[in-house]
Amino acid sequence: MTSSLLPVALGNYIALSAVLFFMGVVGVIVRRNPLVMLMSIELMFNAANLLFMAFARAWMNNAGHIFAFLVITVAAAEAAIGLAIVVAVFRTAKHVDVDDVAMLKG
Amino acid sequence: MIAFWVLGVILIASAMWTITAKKPVYSVVGLLAHFVALAAMYLTLSGEFLAVMQIIVYSGAILVLFLFVIALLSSGVAPFATGINRLPKIAAPAIVVALAGLGFAIYAVGRSSVTATSGALTAAAAGPVGTAGVFGSVDDFGKALFTTYLLPFEITALILMVAVIGVVTLAGDSTPYAATEKQARAVRKNMREAIVRGGER
Amino acid sequence: MIRHIMGVDGSYPYLLALWLLPLLGALVLWAFGPQMRRVAGWFGSGIVGASFVLTALSWGAGTQSSGGAVGAHQALGSWFAGFHFGLLLDPLSLLWALIITGVGCLIHVYSIGYMDGDGAFARFFAYMNFFVFAMLTLVLSDNFIGLLVGWGLVGLASYFLIGFWFFKPAAVAAARKAFVINVVGDVGIMLAIFLIVANVHSIGFGDAFAAAGSFSSTTLFAICLCLFIGAAAKSAQIPLHTWLPDAMEGPTPVSALIHAATMVTAGVYLIARCAPLWSHNSDAQLLVGTVGGVTAIVGAVLGCAQWDIKRILAYSTMSQIGYMIMGVGVGAYEGGVAHFFTHAFFKAQLFLGAGLIIHALANEQDVRRMGGLVKKLPFAFVAMLTGVLAICGIPPFSGFFSKDQVIYGTLQHGHPWLYAVGIVTAGITAYYMCRLLFVTFLGEYRGNVDPSDLGIRHPELAGTPDVHDAHASHGHAPAWIMNVPVAILIVPTVFAGWLMFGGDNSPWAHFFAAEFVPSSLPAPAISEGVTGIVALLVVLLGAAIAYVRYGTVAARAGAVARLRDESVRMPALLRNAFYFDAALDLIFVRGSEALGTFFSRYVDPHAIDGAVRETAISAGWLGALTRSFQTGLVRAYAFIIVVGAACFIAYYALVGGTH
Repeated sequence: MTSSLLPVALGNYIALSAVLFFMGVVGVIVRRNPLVMLMSIELMFNAANLLFMAFARAWMNNAGHIFAFLVITVAAAEAAIGLAIVVAVFRTAKHVDVDDVAMLKG
Repeated sequence: MIAFWVLGVILIASAMWTITAKKPVYSVVGLLAHFVALAAMYLTLSGEFLAVMQIIVYSGAILVLFLFVIALLSSGVAPFATGINRLPKIAAPAIVVALAGLGFAIYAVGRSSVTATSGALTAAAAGPVGTAGVFGSVDDFGKALFTTYLLPFEITALILMVAVIGVVTLAGDSTPYAATEKQARAVRKNMREAIVRGGER
Repeated sequence: MIRHIMGVDGSYPYLLALWLLPLLGALVLWAFGPQMRRVAGWFGSGIVGASFVLTALSWGAGTQSSGGAVGAHQALGSWFAGFHFGLLLDPLSLLWALIITGVGCLIHVYSIGYMDGDGAFARFFAYMNFFVFAMLTLVLSDNFIGLLVGWGLVGLASYFLIGFWFFKPAAVAAARKAFVINVVGDVGIMLAIFLIVANVHSIGFGDAFAAAGSFSSTTLFAICLCLFIGAAAKSAQIPLHTWLPDAMEGPTPVSALIHAATMVTAGVYLIARCAPLWSHNSDAQLLVGTVGGVTAIVGAVLGCAQWDIKRILAYSTMSQIGYMIMGVGVGAYEGGVAHFFTHAFFKAQLFLGAGLIIHALANEQDVRRMGGLVKKLPFAFVAMLTGVLAICGIPPFSGFFSKDQVIYGTLQHGHPWLYAVGIVTAGITAYYMCRLLFVTFLGEYRGNVDPSDLGIRHPELAGTPDVHDAHASHGHAPAWIMNVPVAILIVPTVFAGWLMFGGDNSPWAHFFAAEFVPSSLPAPAISEGVTGIVALLVVLLGAAIAYVRYGTVAARAGAVARLRDESVRMPALLRNAFYFDAALDLIFVRGSEALGTFFSRYVDPHAIDGAVRETAISAGWLGALTRSFQTGLVRAYAFIIVVGAACFIAYYALVGGTH
C-alpha cells in the first residue's frame, strides 16, 4: 500500500497530527494571553494541514494539496481578524485580559 | 525515514515550547521553528509547492503580523493576563480530556480501514523534485487549482477580502479626515498631544 | 332481541293513579302544609286511602292471566334499547300494594292523634305520603332500575322520618346510621344491575328471568349475592342489622309503618320477585336461608335482653323478617310471603299498641317503669294481647299459619338445620313477647318507683324528650282517633291466617298459583301436622317460662327487685348486642378514619405535595446547573467544545459510523 509512497506508515502521520492538534487545544484552554491562544489555534490548523498532505501523498491525489493551500489562506485571514480584535480590545480597555471579556455571562 | 522521526520530535518540541513559553515573543519563535519543520515534512511528502507556501505565508506573513501586534501592544508593561485567573485549575481537566480524545481518535483510526485503502490515483505520477508536471510541482498544483478547484479559489479570495475589511473596521485608523492642509495640521497637533498625554499616564 | 314482558300489556289508569297520588299528596303537603294545619292529617290519610281503594279496584287487573302473562303491565316509556320502564301489577306486587296502602292509611289516621300538637304536623304527613309513593315505586316497577329508584327513595324517606325530631342528637345519628348502612345495600343492588345488564342487555324483570338459565353459575351467584347484600341492608339481616334498633328514635307510627310492616320487607319482596334467579342457584339459596335463620335466632335472643318497649319490638321485627328471608331464601316463596302478610298486621298492631302506651304515659318507653297497665289502659292491653298471640303463633291467630308454612317449607326444601332453628326461635319469640306482656301490663304500676331501684342507670335516656307542646308531663287517655285503627287491625291480626288454611287448596295458594309454580318436592320425614304440634308445644314452653319468671303472683309481687336483679346481672354480651355495633364501628368507622389520617399525615404532604414541590425545586436546580455553564469565559466555552468533540470521537471510536 503506502510503504512505497510514504517514508513511514500512514498511521504514524495520523498519530503525529492528532498529537499536535490536541496540544493546540490544550494551549487554547490553558493560556490566558490572547496572542498565545491564537498561536495555539495556528498549531491546530497546521496539524490538519499535515494530515491533508500525508493523505495526498498516500493516495497520489493533489486535492489534499489544494485543501492545504486553502487552509493556509483561511488561517491567515483568521489570524488577521483575531489580532484586529485584540488591538481593538486593547484600545478601549488598555489591557487585554481574556477572562474579562465575559459579556456573555449568564 | 529518519527524517520523519527527527522532524516529528522537532514538531512536538516546538509546539510544546509555543504553548508553555512565558513571553509571547518566545512563543512566536517556537512557532517559527514549528513552521519550518513542517515545511521540511512537506518536502518529504513531495509537496514542494506547499512547503514553499508554508514558509512564505505562515512564517513570513502571519508570524510577522503576530510580532507587529506584540510590538504595538507592548509599549510599556505587557498588558496581557493582568486580571485574576477565572479558571485556575483548568489545566488538569483540559489535559485529561485532550488525552482522552487523542486516545479515542487513535483507537478509531486503528480499528478503521482508512490506512489500508488506497484512493484513486488522479494526480500525475511522482517524480524527482523540480521536474515539471510531476506530483507536487507548481505545474500540477496550478492546473488543479485553476480548473477543478476554481470555485473554492474564488471563494477564498472573497474570504480574504472580508478579512481585510474586517481588520480595517476593527482596528483601523481613527484619524479624522482632513480636507485642507490647515485641518491636517490641526489633526497632527491633536495626535501629538494625545501621545504625550498617553505617555504621562 | 325479543323482549319478555311480565303481565298483560295495556293501559291501566287506576294503576297510574294509585301510584302517583301519594306523590301528589306529598308535594301538596310540602308546599301548603303549614297553612293546612289540622287538615293536613286528614288530607294525607285521605290520599293513601284513595290509593288503597284504587288498589282494591285493580284486583281484577292484577290477578288476570292470559297466555302465560299474569297481572297488568303499564308501559311508562323507554330510554334506549333495553331500558324500558313500566309498572307491573301482578299478585305479588298487588299484595304488597294492598298492605302498603291499607296499613299505611290506618297508620296515617292513627298519626293524626299521635302527632297532635307537634310543631311539624304537616311535614310528618308529607314525609309519610312520600314514603308510600316511594314504596309503591319499589313494588310496582317492572324493571330493576325502577326498583332501585324506589329502593333509594324509601331509604331517603326513612332518613327523613327517623330524624323527624331533628333536635334530638340521638335521632339524627340514628337516621344517618340507617342511611349509610342502606347505601351499602344500594351498592350491592347496583352491582347486580350492572351484571344483569352486561349479560342480558336489558333491565326488565321479564328479560332477566327469561335468560336466567343461560347465566353461568358464578355470574348467577354473584348477581344473587349482590342482590342479597341489598336485601340484607334494607331488611336488617345480620350483619347489616345494627340500624334497626336505633331507628326506633323516630315517632312510633314511623316505626309501625316503615320499620315493621313495609320498608324492611322490601328485601323479602326483592327475593320473592327474583325467584327465577334464585331457583337456578342452590348455593345462593343456601346462603340466604342460612343468614335468615341466623338473624331470626339472634334477633330473638337479643329481644330477651331489651328494656325499651320499642326496641323489644324492633328486635322481634328483625327476627320475624329473618323468618321471611329464610322462607323465600330456601324456596318456600308462598310461606315467606304469607309470613310477611300476617306480620304486617300483627307487628303494626303491636307498634300502634305500644304507641298508645307511650302516648298515655307521656313518652315513657322503659317497661321497667310500666306495670299494672291492664287496669289503666284496657284497650291497649287487648290490642297487645292479640298481637302477642299472633306473633307467638298460637292457633287460631294468624301467625300460627304463616310461621308454620315457613318452618315446614325449610324442611320440604331439605334444610333440617334451619327447620330446627325455626322451631327453637319460635319458642324464644314466645318467651320474650310474653315477657313484654307480663312486665308491662301485670303487677303494680312502677312509674313512681325510683329508677335506680329498678336498675335503670340513665333515667334521662328513657323515652323521648317532651315534643308535644300541649301535653306536657301528664299522661291522659288516648284520643279516640288512635283507637280506631288499632281496633280495625285486630280483625286481620286474628283472622288473616285463615286464608292460608288448607295447604295447596287454600285461597292463598290459588292467589299465587300462577306466580310461584310449585315444584314437586319429596314429602319430608316430619309431616306438616306434626310440625305444627311441635312448634305449638315449644311456644307454650316459652310462654310458660316467661310466666314463671314474670307472671306468677309471687313474681308480680317482687317485680321491682326481680327487674333490678335482671338489669344489673345482664351479661355484657347481650347488653352490647353481641358487639356488632362495636365491631362495625371498629372496622369501618375507625378504619376509615385511620386510613384518612394516614393519607393526610403521610401520603399527602410527602408524596403528593412532595411531588409537586420537588418538581418545582428540581426545575430550579436544573436551571441553576445549566446557568452555571454560562460563565462568559471564552476559555470555558472552548473547554466545553473540546469535551463535546472528545465525546463525538469516543462515540465513533466505540460504536462506529460506517465501517
